Amino acid sequence: MKQVIMMMLLLNTLLSCSGQKPGEMLPEDYTNWEKLTATELNYPIPGHGTNLRIPYINDTGRNVNISVVNNKKTHEYPPGTIIIKEIYDSNEISPGDKPVMLTAMIKDPGNSKARGEWVWIIKNTATGEETINTDGFCITCHDDANENHPYGAGNPDSEFRDCVFFPYKK
Amino acid sequence: MKRKKYIPITRKINAIIIISLIIGIGTIISYYYLSLFMNINDSTRQNLLQQSDILYTAIENYMIPGEAPLAANFFNDINKINPEYTIKLFRSNGVKAFRDNNTISFVNNSIGVNKFLEREVIEDNEKPIDNYFSKAIEVPPRNSVFRTVDRMENTFGAKGKIFFRIYRPLINLPRCTVCHGGEHTIRGVIDIRNDITKSVNDQYIILFISIATFVLMVSILAAILSQYLKGTVIQPVKSIGDICTGVTQGVFDKKVSIKNRDEIGALGNTVNTMVEGLHERFKLSKFVSSSTIESLKTEEKGHKVPVTIFFSDIRGFTSFTELNKPETVVESLNKVLNFQSGIIQENKGDIDKYVGDEIVAIFTQENSELSACISALKIQKELKEKSGSEYNNLKVGIGINYGEVILGMIGSEKRADYTIIGDNVNTASRLCNLAKSGQIIISESTYEKVKDQVKTKGPYKVKVKGKEDYLHVYLLTGIYGG
Repeated sequence: MKQVIMMMLLLNTLLSCSGQKPGEMLPEDYTNWEKLTATELNYPIPGHGTNLRIPYINDTGRNVNISVVNNKKTHEYPPGTIIIKEIYDSNEISPGDKPVMLTAMIKDPGNSKARGEWVWIIKNTATGEETINTDGFCITCHDDANENHPYGAGNPDSEFRDCVFFPYKK
Repeated sequence: MKRKKYIPITRKINAIIIISLIIGIGTIISYYYLSLFMNINDSTRQNLLQQSDILYTAIENYMIPGEAPLAANFFNDINKINPEYTIKLFRSNGVKAFRDNNTISFVNNSIGVNKFLEREVIEDNEKPIDNYFSKAIEVPPRNSVFRTVDRMENTFGAKGKIFFRIYRPLINLPRCTVCHGGEHTIRGVIDIRNDITKSVNDQYIILFISIATFVLMVSILAAILSQYLKGTVIQPVKSIGDICTGVTQGVFDKKVSIKNRDEIGALGNTVNTMVEGLHERFKLSKFVSSSTIESLKTEEKGHKVPVTIFFSDIRGFTSFTELNKPETVVESLNKVLNFQSGIIQENKGDIDKYVGDEIVAIFTQENSELSACISALKIQKELKEKSGSEYNNLKVGIGINYGEVILGMIGSEKRADYTIIGDNVNTASRLCNLAKSGQIIISESTYEKVKDQVKTKGPYKVKVKGKEDYLHVYLLTGIYGG
């Protein structure tokens, strides 16, 4: 009996290590994470218009390494960093409102679908469907985070911010 | 049952050759052409896509520092260098860019200073609106799965030319929003098109040449193979067929002449051997009665049958042999036997055997008695007329009897004759012995069958060896109406 239980536990362990399915990349409890910025993001931007956006970062991302490389301040998020951005249907929300869409970036340099070392994911909250964006649309915009841009405090010194417009501040 | 249509083997082989060539070579050429076609298309497409990437980056870099006029000039210059290659920029509403000052005014308002000077308005109402353009600027609803269009490509014909076109959406990047606002995702669409008429025409020429080469190749190969097969297979087979046809018509002196050292040559030799064998058997059939040959087919052991037995014997032959040289004897004997045999066979009689100077024949068909009588009368007439001149004065006596005999294979396992035996055979022989030179004696049973058709004398009462009773016989003298 003991052997059977051990076998079942081993099988369960092996199955759990077989990789995440496409619909299970973004955890449900991300709202417990730290918000990336206190800035109210409802000004118009391409792709999202004036819809309210609220970004969260997981604990791994909070260990961002900030250093100076070649006289340039460089932000480097560790692999496993997940930043999830809630997209709401309007520029204002009321208590109980749910986001219509989640867009997320997962730091995974070895992933063949990664662009700029990040895997870009869009989740339809109505259906739960998660889609990896590989056509370059997400990275094209987020690449501007690494130079001076018009969002928030911008990036006047053109720091390398690892495609994150509002860098995590320790 | 309906007979199948006769189709010459030449036609069948030609059909097989042509079908094989069409399927074999056709598949290869089709595959080759298809690969070539796909390679050319893919190569052209990849080239254009690569060029579009380069151009996109160049345009983007022109636009960022607010040098849109440079981009416009850049488009014009490229078009001057290669008229088949055009680049145009359309706003997301389908209006052609750089033709008015709307963007300049918007940008100046956005940045709060008149940084960019207005310029001359150019009349250009060209609009690219089509499905592909609409798809290129499409931004999916936010509550559906988010997908963007990287680029749209299509091939279309206009003014007798064929174009390959790429619609590349110009994304409103964050750095662009400073001047152009952030409300829209797609700023415009770059339309890059190349005239691929020559490339397509070249492919048609390749296709035409491929088909022409294919047809020519199939025709030549079919002709070569057809001629080769004609010489090595068809003609020899036809030659064998002709020889076989000749054999059925009694021609045995022709031979198959095939020099091939292969299966067909071996077949020809076999046929020649077979024809030689058939010829030998044909010649042997002269020495074998028809009933013997017939019996071989049926393998019949023996049975009783009513027949007319015919005996003919040369009179005074013993003294003739003594007075003449052997070769004269054989020649004269053969002449007499030969002409008698001819007459007997003409009247459907069957030579059963030759016994020295004697012929034994049987007539089995309907009215066999009359046929035997006619044969006998003709023989005697011939000898009466030509005995002196043709047959060394040899004459015959003939005896004919009708009755039941036993017909069967008589002899040993090594040598046997299919012949007749029985009392009626002996009677016929006795009648022949009775007949003097030039006479034909028929038995009473024969007479009863033919009395209305032949002229006779008698009856005569005769005593023959082996018979207790007298026999009534008749001398046959002629035939009514003959």
